[in-house]
Amino acid sequence: MLQSIIGIIFSEAFVFSIFRITTPILFAALAAVVADRAGVTNIGLEGIMMISALTGVIFSAWTQSAWIGLLCAILLGMLTALMIGFFALKLKTDIILAGIAVNMLGNGGTVFFMYLASGDRGYSANLASKVMPTVNIPVLQDIPVLGGILSGHNILTYLAFIFVALVWVLLYKTPMGLQIRAVGESPNAADSVGVSVNRIKYIALGISGALAGMGGAFMSMGYMSSFNTNMTAGRGFIALAAEAMGRGEPIGTMLTSLLFGFADALANNMQSLGLPQELVAMTPYVFTVVGLAVYAASTLKKSRKKLE
Amino acid sequence: MKKYLSVLLAALMVLAIMAGCGGNGGSSTPAPAPSGDNSTPAPEGTKVWNVANIVNGNLGDKSFFDSCEAGLKKLQDDGLIKYKTFELGATDADQPKWVSTLDELSADGSYDLIVCGTYQMDAYLNECAAKYPDQKYFIYDAEVAQPNVASITFKQNDLGYLVGTAAALMTSSSMEKINSEKVIGFVGGEDGPVINDFLVGFIQGAQAADPEVKIDSQYVGNFYDTGRGKEIANVMVNNKCDVIWGVAGGAGNGAAEAAAEHNVWFIGVDSDQEATFSASQPQMAAATIFSGLKNCGDGVIYMLNKLNDGTIEWGKTTQLGIAEGGVGLTNGGNFQKLPDDIKKALDDVAPKVTSGEIKVDTAFDESFDVKGLRDSVRP
Repeated sequence: MLQSIIGIIFSEAFVFSIFRITTPILFAALAAVVADRAGVTNIGLEGIMMISALTGVIFSAWTQSAWIGLLCAILLGMLTALMIGFFALKLKTDIILAGIAVNMLGNGGTVFFMYLASGDRGYSANLASKVMPTVNIPVLQDIPVLGGILSGHNILTYLAFIFVALVWVLLYKTPMGLQIRAVGESPNAADSVGVSVNRIKYIALGISGALAGMGGAFMSMGYMSSFNTNMTAGRGFIALAAEAMGRGEPIGTMLTSLLFGFADALANNMQSLGLPQELVAMTPYVFTVVGLAVYAASTLKKSRKKLE
Repeated sequence: MKKYLSVLLAALMVLAIMAGCGGNGGSSTPAPAPSGDNSTPAPEGTKVWNVANIVNGNLGDKSFFDSCEAGLKKLQDDGLIKYKTFELGATDADQPKWVSTLDELSADGSYDLIVCGTYQMDAYLNECAAKYPDQKYFIYDAEVAQPNVASITFKQNDLGYLVGTAAALMTSSSMEKINSEKVIGFVGGEDGPVINDFLVGFIQGAQAADPEVKIDSQYVGNFYDTGRGKEIANVMVNNKCDVIWGVAGGAGNGAAEAAAEHNVWFIGVDSDQEATFSASQPQMAAATIFSGLKNCGDGVIYMLNKLNDGTIEWGKTTQLGIAEGGVGLTNGGNFQKLPDDIKKALDDVAPKVTSGEIKVDTAFDESFDVKGLRDSVRP
């Protein structure tokens, strides 16, 4: 049993699948990072992903262009996140409640809009939508093993990992990033030096929505080639956990997202070895608990050392 | 600019609220039933029954619930009933609505008959039927032992046997897309009795057709995570499966995508999935060799006819199999690509299953060891 698990883990197809499974989680987790660092908790990621997944399918079917579909998915993701901001910052509702409302909209509303757009309700059977292209990287694709793992992914998978770097640059190397972090850590201090706190929060939410929108578009235009109700299936919430575990750092969040991707890929393979599905389904969450425990233990050790 | 933005956002908000209601079919409270049918009931057989249809999921699944809806629609067109459908959504968050709607509709009393389905509803209906003994209920694809409930179940194990026979003969054949290994796959929704009933038949049918065939069976864990459905099917393809049966609702579509991408055969379930895919997904339609049908709609029609001719037995379960049209295979489209000997084998097996000459075990029999069977045939 252990031997076959190790055999699976070191196979090309397995490592390849980790990147594919990680992609939507990583997009949403980066979305959580940007919003969280500005002090606005975007709990509506799941809903935004659903809305963008549907938007991508509808607009790529209407225009017959995957790129226009992606653009519309990003725009609607942004708009939905700004709607959360409008509720929370302008109308002073609780941002968690606004996020929950968006999640409900993503659940029921997408069915409604899909029905309006195509007459379908559960599955976009009548929308001939487009899929984002896969990319074969020249030279790299010819290298054995490495080529099989790193080449041939959907373009959005590469974009997700590029965005890790971009979000890092945004947060730590740009004036905007400084303002975002300042607003997140101490809105009063930021305000006192003339930073418009709400403006920065809106911008962070907008970026967050765009990132989650790309994650949603990947679900229906890369991972799958159609829209199905509830297809994000909790990935927006797993992303929140990945962000929390990654301590809001882009690199750390990427690593925790990959950990979830790994656990999920492992879970899919363990079933074929005859382990019960309920046990296997737990794997990602066991990883979370163990990860958090290790993290807590190491920080505790550090702080003790400091005291000494 | 700011003003326009807020107007735009406000408009979005209103839309959102409307959508929130629309998407759930506005079903939190039952609508008042058409008036005038609480007076003296007409003699049985001539009466137009007033029916409430509870869908603990969403219509548009192109299979299970749509099939029931189509059956009710046909009954309404024939002037036998008038009905109203309450769509409640499929997720855990929707579950509280299932039981409250069932209770409200029962308390309302204006429906002659409440129709619902799936094993996810049986415990709720059991309570509700006991609480409202004068209300009559149909439940399909599950059993409730109450004197005011008629249960309709399908012999999905018989269906599974037919599909398993075909799949095993396919993987041993020289058809296109078939590799040299004799391995077939089964992507289930949840590890529960209904799905396992399909599986038990599938395994027994496959093993009877060719004892060397291995069956890789896995579950998505729900009926909507298409991504996971696809990943599982990918793993199966890596395990050398060349025929995969998806019995997982919407999540099965993911398995169909994987089958199309890796150029192996997919088998659909509940409704003619080749026809569904053909509207926008030609590759997935081309990968679907046939579908195993579970005709919920025909089941409801069958029971309503029994109600009208007075032969209905309340408190009993009616099992619909191949002979009653409750289950069967699609025989159009890609099915015709099957070699003649496989078609002939299916024609031979079907009557034997119906007559009981071939006895297919069922996962509803609690003493039957599904796990043991499942593990004994893994590749």
